[in-house]
Amino acid sequence: MSLSVGLNCPACGGAIKVNEGEHVLNCQYCGSTLWAEGDAGVLTVAYKNMQDRDGVLRATEQWWRKGLKARDLRKKGRLLECYPIYLPFWSTVTRVAGWICGYEERTYQDRDGHSHTERIPKEEMVLNDYNYTNIACDPGDLGIKRLRNIGGEASFADFESIPTFESTTSKDDSVNGSKEKALQDARRDAGVPHVTFEKVTIIPKSISQIYYPVWVVRYSYGERMYMATVDGVTGNVLSGRAPGDPLYQSLAVTGGTSLGGLIAAAGLIVGAGSDDGTIMFGGVIVGLVILGVTYMFFRHGSEIIEGDFEDKKMKNPLKDIGIELGGLRI
Amino acid sequence: MKVVQIKCPRCQQPINSKVKDLAFYCSHCRTMHVRDGGVNVIDFDIAEFNPGAQQDRVYMPFWRLFTNFNINQSKSAGGAIYKLGKFLGGGSNSGNVFIYIPAWETNVSEFKHWAIGLTEAQPMYSLRNDFNNIERTPTVVTREEATQMADFVIVTMEAEKPGTLQYLDYSLNVQDTRLVYMPYVRGQNGFAPGL
Repeated sequence: MSLSVGLNCPACGGAIKVNEGEHVLNCQYCGSTLWAEGDAGVLTVAYKNMQDRDGVLRATEQWWRKGLKARDLRKKGRLLECYPIYLPFWSTVTRVAGWICGYEERTYQDRDGHSHTERIPKEEMVLNDYNYTNIACDPGDLGIKRLRNIGGEASFADFESIPTFESTTSKDDSVNGSKEKALQDARRDAGVPHVTFEKVTIIPKSISQIYYPVWVVRYSYGERMYMATVDGVTGNVLSGRAPGDPLYQSLAVTGGTSLGGLIAAAGLIVGAGSDDGTIMFGGVIVGLVILGVTYMFFRHGSEIIEGDFEDKKMKNPLKDIGIELGGLRI
Repeated sequence: MKVVQIKCPRCQQPINSKVKDLAFYCSHCRTMHVRDGGVNVIDFDIAEFNPGAQQDRVYMPFWRLFTNFNINQSKSAGGAIYKLGKFLGGGSNSGNVFIYIPAWETNVSEFKHWAIGLTEAQPMYSLRNDFNNIERTPTVVTREEATQMADFVIVTMEAEKPGTLQYLDYSLNVQDTRLVYMPYVRGQNGFAPGL
């Protein structure tokens, strides 16, 4: 964001524009180099809203038709409200430079059935600029925590007409969070399972604040309320909640339990006649996994959730099944 | 927020520039200063162009770190400590190394190319007193950031040699920092050394 109110060049008195986050300025009138003392703030950008109400509603209706949502949602869904807001995000670029060295162990069996473990040395350079965007306020029930798109026309023209959420998280917290995440991502990218040496430098390169236009659509289906959010720049649906379809749930339960039961039973029957217990256990485990997925779909399939919701259960059903089956890792 | 005019800390002449450069050069008394937590005059070198390099000339800034390096322990699978030994010489475990860090805006691959290239092939150059009105690429990397990146350069030089680095216990102390303006010539394939 350029600020010019009340700031004048100390050499010629001309009005000067200060880009937030920058300390060095050049007076456009006398050419003097200037220095902004104190906290220069953060470069702030707002993206122009490129969508209108009709386009947002069309995008929402298209989203209703996708996936396992209620088939009659287009008929029974009733629009309650549709409005744009500006959400604040921190956008950071963090440079990670370093080396992570260590080894990977690979175990194999020889012809006699003896296990051997081979240690493979690894040295991996990590040199990357990591870009992150994190929401800078409490998003409430919107299901948005990061930006999928970071392009758009920068403009504050809509700032007066569109309600704007203020930042409630600090710049320092965002920088520190980005540094931690960049280190985690760098370690993951390096892929060294057993680390014997690590020297990594993390430098925050830039931070800026982005005000991003998001349309909120609230609608009802039967007696229940649902919502969706639409990207004000790209027009894509970012997040939402929608009713599931009881038919899909019934089919899933019928098909899943049948298939899971058959596979588990087949594993037991075939495995009982074999010296190798792998078939028996394998069949039972696969059957249980299918039953677990079926259960998760039945339990949570009444509502389809997309986006960054805390209570999003369908995002990784296998993980949830692992928890519900007593910590079994799948 | 308060805005002040940048003046040379030695002769008090205003600094005029059309670009946003974190290194402020006074063409009046040939003093360079930075504002990293205070107004600090810094040492700097301007390398002389080769008389044959007449075309599109540009000065590129590097932070040159004079470092004292000490290897306490090292381990490499299938190789040996090679590169650092070349700098330290005579099988010694300690010595001095000049590390060059590009001070302008670079992406990660450019950064590695310039930093490793100049540190491995230490440039020899004659000095001159001014920039002779030749374009300077703005400095955007602070002295502190350059110092932080020194470890990466030193470990990279070792890790990229034959063998797989497994462990390196070392100490690296930056004794002196200096901004060095190296001469380059813009060409169709990027920058060519102008020394």
